[in-house]
Amino acid sequence: MKRALVLGLLAASAMAAAPIARYVEKSDVAKMTLKVGDTAPDFTLLSNEWKTVKLSDYRGKKNVFLAVYVLAFTGG
Amino acid sequence: MDSPAANAAFAKQIGITFPLLSDMNRKMLKTYGILKGYDKNNETYEWALRANIVIDKQGIIQLVDEGDSAVDPNTALTMCTTLHKKDAAK
Repeated sequence: MKRALVLGLLAASAMAAAPIARYVEKSDVAKMTLKVGDTAPDFTLLSNEWKTVKLSDYRGKKNVFLAVYVLAFTGG
Repeated sequence: MDSPAANAAFAKQIGITFPLLSDMNRKMLKTYGILKGYDKNNETYEWALRANIVIDKQGIIQLVDEGDSAVDPNTALTMCTTLHKKDAAK
């Protein structure tokens, strides 16, 4: 996996996310505001090694695969 | 919310070598439009969508998969391969 940096974003939101989602009609869920061709907004986040990771650090160096997970490390 | 400490345990458990990031204040999720709100019984609940995003070296978004289609990473991996081939051809 050297061809692209992979960033896993464990983005847990409300704990009740899964049950709530069942009540949501698809039409109620807004689409992401970003689309292909847009410049990706920069962000600074903490890694699992407590290091600061900035998207812009990879500009001109690597392609980035950003995977957003929800509640990945939970028992449920 | 998964903290860096929780992510560290998760990374160790399944042998991940790439960075696992925590968006503790949900800033990135909101900026990218991944965090969604839903009103129910006069309460607003928020949750994040599953999403795969591929960004090229120039910082341009090349692929966005969200919701159910993001569960399968193969589309995003194919895009990574395509970008890699383009880079190699330069």
